[in-house]
Amino acid sequence: MANSITNKTVKNESVVLNEFDQPVKGVSLWQDAWKRLKKNKMAMFGLLMIIFYALISLSAPLLPIYSYKQQVLGHQFLPPSTRPAGELMYERQDYLLRAMANKEGRELNAVEIERLSDLRDSITTEKKILLSGEEILVHERVYIFGTDSLGRDVLARIIYGGQVSILIGLVGALASVFIGVVLGALSGYIGGTFDSLMMRFVDIMYSLPYMLLVIIFMAVFGRAIGNLFFALAIVSWLTVARVVRGQIMSLKNSEYVEAARSSGAGTARIVFLHLIPNTAGVIIVYTTLRVPSFIMLEAFLSFLGLGVQAPFASWGVLIQDGVYAMTTYSWLLWFPATAMTLFLFSMNFLGDGLRDALDPQSKNKL
Amino acid sequence: MSKYILRRALGLIPTMFIIVTICFFFIRLAPGGPFSSEKKIDPQILKNIEAKYHLDEPLVVQYVRYLGNVVRGDLGPSYKYKDYDVNFYIGKSLPKSLLLGSLALFFAVIMGMGAGMLSSLRQNTWVDYLSMSVAVIGISVPLFVIGPVFMYIFAIKLDILPTSGWIDEQGLKALIIPVFSLSLAYFATVARLSRASFLEALRSDYVRTARAKGLKASVIMFKHVLKGASLPVVSYLGPAFSGIITGSIVIEQIFRIPGLGRHFVQSAFNRDYTMIMGTVIVYSLILVLMNFLVDVIYGYLDPRISYK
Repeated sequence: MANSITNKTVKNESVVLNEFDQPVKGVSLWQDAWKRLKKNKMAMFGLLMIIFYALISLSAPLLPIYSYKQQVLGHQFLPPSTRPAGELMYERQDYLLRAMANKEGRELNAVEIERLSDLRDSITTEKKILLSGEEILVHERVYIFGTDSLGRDVLARIIYGGQVSILIGLVGALASVFIGVVLGALSGYIGGTFDSLMMRFVDIMYSLPYMLLVIIFMAVFGRAIGNLFFALAIVSWLTVARVVRGQIMSLKNSEYVEAARSSGAGTARIVFLHLIPNTAGVIIVYTTLRVPSFIMLEAFLSFLGLGVQAPFASWGVLIQDGVYAMTTYSWLLWFPATAMTLFLFSMNFLGDGLRDALDPQSKNKL
Repeated sequence: MSKYILRRALGLIPTMFIIVTICFFFIRLAPGGPFSSEKKIDPQILKNIEAKYHLDEPLVVQYVRYLGNVVRGDLGPSYKYKDYDVNFYIGKSLPKSLLLGSLALFFAVIMGMGAGMLSSLRQNTWVDYLSMSVAVIGISVPLFVIGPVFMYIFAIKLDILPTSGWIDEQGLKALIIPVFSLSLAYFATVARLSRASFLEALRSDYVRTARAKGLKASVIMFKHVLKGASLPVVSYLGPAFSGIITGSIVIEQIFRIPGLGRHFVQSAFNRDYTMIMGTVIVYSLILVLMNFLVDVIYGYLDPRISYK
């Protein structure tokens, strides 16, 4: 038996076999992971959705939408429609006047008919200079997602709100992962007193109700986006630090670290050039999974009124507006909620897919 | 066992002490005192106010005084509502939040474990797919979307449940949507956790032995499988408690329930520092006690844990 294996290896020196005697091509971790990710339909759907959101957010200034703070008087609470705003305004006015007249048991009187025809004239002619300085026929606007209480385009609010939310998610995740990786790696590699102090500190931080601390932080230091980033980053690196520490501890006695150490590499070099790159898989998975949780945290704070402040919007702010208006103007809730939920779904699917794909245990097995 | 419990219980004291200390000094870092406002206050009046609340003393003295009061169970006067103290507000609002939170947790654990058990017994059937789809939705959709959506469907469109308010005005019906929305995310996680651990336990050697002995299926399920499979759920209870506390803040906001969470957000807006600290101390105490309880239950369920 041993003979036959040797024979095989001699015949085909370039072919490596796995434990099922299948030939294995030498692939890098990333090629392998990508191959497995491609097979995961939900993760690919998530990836496509995220690319779509990213494209929309990046190209927002080029899209034919108003600015997120452009208010148009008279366009308040227009329902979502593919017809121009003027027509909807006219219909609404017409409906209201007729309803009032009906209640009094009469037809429209001359004054009211005059008002309606005035409105029709102004709809076709009225111009407005936008915040961007451009002059347009304002009532020809189409609001496919409707408008809010100040006559702002809900679609534009969702897109610009999405920019803010996604940015907070990304920056927050990167910051917390960065702090967590550096502290976790050092703690795992150095060990000893430093490690036990670090872990004690992490334990204490874990026992604190950190969401409450974030709320206090925002209340006490003011509701600026910078404070928001800071508050979220300082409470959220704990899990990453723990996971990375565990990884580093299992890697730090491997041969390549030994080799680096014997050729005179210092702690910093070993940690940052040898150990951390080898935990890249875990780090990427955690970053992906942190983005949606940061978006949720931000939305949670904005929902309580402690997050992003007007005129900026984020998905949390929009959903909060929607909740208070939903009895009569339910589109103000549905569109932002759907936009946000879809993005969170996609991020979670992608994160789960990446975790499966980057798991070294499943290497070369499909 | 009792020695272990006692030691863990004593360990709660330093944790609470650290929390109170961090809170106290963290809030003192804030720019501007609790009485600084846009209105100009006469310096003498400000001085009198500060003297009344002992804010003119050195920080260390204030800290020791506050610590002493907290140990005696006095959380101090509210800075915003001058006729009442923090204890009064907490006493009024805490029972509502406790009821809401414990109902949600109870529902999440019982229903979640039930769904997990059913899914594991009927693996890859429609029961399994249905409960796991509900679980995916529960995990990914944030609470402040689920709450309003339920409210829209059941209170506004169908008009069978009240949109807001508490038991004293609406009766027990007022609890249904808040409890259900609050528990959905935890129901989902418990269902997924317990499905996986039930599947594992069902294939384990001790269950095979029990079957071989000819025990009844129900006895195997409830006596053998349940005990082993509930371990991951019990260890998830700790994070679930803190999640439900944060969640109840949102739910109380959406459904206008005058509980502790609403007071907390309100006091954060008002910069009512004693109120903020009192609320955080109460929340932390609940959390720390619950985690202690989870540890004890865990030790009881898992004989492999030694009490050293």
